Amino acid sequence: MKNKTTRFLTTSLIGVALLCVCVFSIFAVHMSNQSALTINKVGTLYMYNMSQQTSIHFESIIALQMNQLRTLTGTIPSDAVHTDRALQEELIAQAKARDFSYLGFYASDGTLEMLYGSQLTVTDPEPFLNSLRADQQKVAIGTNARGEKVILLGMPSPHPPTAEHNCAALVAGLPVSYISDNLSLEENRERAYSYIIRKDGSFVIRAADAYRNNYFERVKVMYEDVNGLTPEEYIEALTTAMAEGKDYSNEFTMEGERYHLYSTRLPYSEWYLITFMPYGAMDSIVNGFSREWGALTVLSGVVILGALLLVFYKYFGLTRQQLRQVEEARQSAEAARKEAEHANRAKSEFLSNMSHDIRTPMNAIVGMTAIATANLDSPQQVKNCLKKITLSSKHLLGLINDVLDMSKIESGKMTLNVDQVSLREVVDSIVSICQPQVKAKRQLFDVFIHDISTENVLCDSVRLNQVLLNLLSNAIKFTPEGGEIHMALYEEASPKGEDYVRIHIQVKDNGIGMSEEFQKHIFDSFAREDSARVHRTEGTGLGMAITKYIVVDAMGGSIEMNSRQGGGTEFNVTLDMEKALVMEEDMILPNWNMLVVDDDRQLCESTVSALNSIGVNAEWTLDGESAVEMVVKRHRRGDEYQIILLDWKLPGMDGIATAHRIRQELGDKVPILLISAYDWGEIEGKAREAGVTGFISKPLFKSTLFNSLRQFADLPEVEEEETVCERCRDLTGKRILLAEDNELNWEIANELLSAEGLVLDWAENGQLCVEMFQKSPAGYYDAILMDVRMPVMGGYEATQVIRTLDRPDRDLPIIAMTADAFAEDVKRSFDCGMNAHIAKPIDVGDVMRLLAKFIK
Amino acid sequence: MTLKECYTAMGGDYDEVMGRLRSEKLVQKFVLKFLNDGSYQLLLDSLAAGDRDEAFRAAHTIKGVCANLAFNTLLASSEELTEALREGKPPQPGEEELVARVKTDYERTRQAIQAYQEGAGG
Repeated sequence: MKNKTTRFLTTSLIGVALLCVCVFSIFAVHMSNQSALTINKVGTLYMYNMSQQTSIHFESIIALQMNQLRTLTGTIPSDAVHTDRALQEELIAQAKARDFSYLGFYASDGTLEMLYGSQLTVTDPEPFLNSLRADQQKVAIGTNARGEKVILLGMPSPHPPTAEHNCAALVAGLPVSYISDNLSLEENRERAYSYIIRKDGSFVIRAADAYRNNYFERVKVMYEDVNGLTPEEYIEALTTAMAEGKDYSNEFTMEGERYHLYSTRLPYSEWYLITFMPYGAMDSIVNGFSREWGALTVLSGVVILGALLLVFYKYFGLTRQQLRQVEEARQSAEAARKEAEHANRAKSEFLSNMSHDIRTPMNAIVGMTAIATANLDSPQQVKNCLKKITLSSKHLLGLINDVLDMSKIESGKMTLNVDQVSLREVVDSIVSICQPQVKAKRQLFDVFIHDISTENVLCDSVRLNQVLLNLLSNAIKFTPEGGEIHMALYEEASPKGEDYVRIHIQVKDNGIGMSEEFQKHIFDSFAREDSARVHRTEGTGLGMAITKYIVVDAMGGSIEMNSRQGGGTEFNVTLDMEKALVMEEDMILPNWNMLVVDDDRQLCESTVSALNSIGVNAEWTLDGESAVEMVVKRHRRGDEYQIILLDWKLPGMDGIATAHRIRQELGDKVPILLISAYDWGEIEGKAREAGVTGFISKPLFKSTLFNSLRQFADLPEVEEEETVCERCRDLTGKRILLAEDNELNWEIANELLSAEGLVLDWAENGQLCVEMFQKSPAGYYDAILMDVRMPVMGGYEATQVIRTLDRPDRDLPIIAMTADAFAEDVKRSFDCGMNAHIAKPIDVGDVMRLLAKFIK
Repeated sequence: MTLKECYTAMGGDYDEVMGRLRSEKLVQKFVLKFLNDGSYQLLLDSLAAGDRDEAFRAAHTIKGVCANLAFNTLLASSEELTEALREGKPPQPGEEELVARVKTDYERTRQAIQAYQEGAGG
């Protein structure tokens, strides 16, 4: 295709160029012909005018002289006799006064009687005499005695000839030079010159270069070509024209030069004026013009060709570019096709993996169920089976949830339910979830909190949990038994402003790591490193894709990874979270002296700084031995530590042993708390025996420290459970409208909440609920507990109606109470104006807490 | 037959319900009332009538009651049925089995409660 286009372009370019050259050549030739023709025409016109002018000039000169002569003849009396001496004298005097060189009487018989001047001979007396006899004024040529030519002016006598005198005319003579000077025949007007000749070709007046007496002789000798005629033919043509009294025009070549000639008859005479002009004069002008034309033509030809060339070049370029684009498009289509194939393959792989992954727990469930059925008599075995079934179901549920999440992400339907979240609670719950797995694999799991000052942020706790759980479960999964897993949280100022805080979460393990190839695809859907090392490990291959989506796309954070095959993996998640606007309780503890003992220097420092911020003077040390020393030293000074925090795992002497030593030194007074990231059930007995007062669990948030330590201060106990009770009392007598279609559920709720001192009214459906609320006086109900699924009118609609009523208390707290506990349901209840959402079954604690929160 | 045994027989969680309602007397009261609850009949009727919306609501109510009373076996099957009937969903292939399971579980629950009732009454 490319060659075809190129060939077509080249051919058409050459074709157009040739056409251009042809057209312009024809044009040029035509122009040149046209200019020759023009020169001819212009020349003829010019020559005609010039001849006319000369002719008129000649006429006027002759007329002038004739008038002079007539004046002369006028003086002759009618009766005068030319022989009269006095008359002759008179005539001579007057003629001389008028500058005539000769004067004489011309007799009818042709004899010329000179009055003065030498005797003249008329060269061709016949026509001259005839004219004079016919009473016409006439000019003729004659010669004097010396043979010089003389112009003769003949004026017929006013008196008819008589017997005594036969004088026909008065003849005056003038030198030829008079005429030629006056006519300026030889003057160089554009190098033109003229002859005056007679019919027979003899010169009357000739230009200096013509030395022959006859023009025709000159023609015969000198003229090379007269426009296609031979000189003889030309002479004949000229003579004919003269005989007919017509003007004649032609061109001829002489001595290599082209001339234009024009012949016209002169008045008063039998003479002809022939004017010549060399072609060159006109030619140079017209040729110059023509040359300009030619140059212009060539130039325009070149310009047009150039333009054409340019257009073709551009077009060629364009075509090539288009071809390239087509090629690129084809390639990208090919790439897209490959990608689609890849995605398709990934999906089918995923499906086959999934079906394998789903089948595995399903098999376990089915198998275990069969075993349990067969062993109904043996509770131990059944219990064992059920345990395994539970595990498998949970795993299956995890898989399904991942797939659902992924499909939500892919259809863009994943939304965040942003609510106030306590980072401490999130981390605590994550730690407790991961603990069993970590323990099962005997891994070292350490959670580390660097000075987190903002514990309460706005975030989707479910999704944040999911992210952390994904990262941690991967770390646990891909770290062999006995490995180490570290999680760290730290905080810094957020670039998004003062209302935000930037939280860094680091999850690090020393597990099997990832190949570089796989690292590129880790965030792709359905990606799972497929090698012998990890084939056994279960999972959907969706976890990281979901994680990345939540962190990056939904929460606007970033996730970075650093991994080496066999060298462990590290994930760093950075999130900017809005600070929750909660009045954090004043966390102030007495001005205690405390000792923190941990082998991790950073943990010591951050714990000490957290303690300092809640009013405690804390010191730290890295091992048990030095801790005992410090305690003893203080004891001797009588300036005891009020509380001692001991890490369980210490180099050398461990926490329990250290506690034992301290007890030996100090007795039972000082509380000693053991810091542990683990479930301390196993070591509790031993620890208590050694004198440990209590436990404090990692991660050590400020609030963790405060809540664990406050019991040792003389502060009012505000433990959570009691908080509820305390506030329950506050709510005694509060009136609650409960919309619930099921009587049994209503009775249960009524029973439970009445026991807390609340007064409840029952609405059987949303419609009734709205009506009862409308009929009640403003402020009668303190809150509404709203079932969502009800006949007649559901809870969402009822809430929306209530929110739009024209009542001052239309904003009363409405809490959804439903068996639907999907995130979407929660969101929907918020969307339609509810304040909170409680999932059934009813938990009195939850209900009371929420009511306490929303009832003013 | 004790109330706890009744729960075991029906596949419920006695400890859970006691944790929530705190008094055996209350639990007993509600358990006995369960058989009078019309939701199950409503579910059967509306399923027979092909009214999926009503059936959904009925299943949903059964689910809610079971959750409150920790009738976990019936809770599980009624929950599945609820999801299958959730509005807008067309009938699924396995739905019949789900209904059958709910019936079985309900029957089991009913028998357990009746046995307990007779035991308690007698």
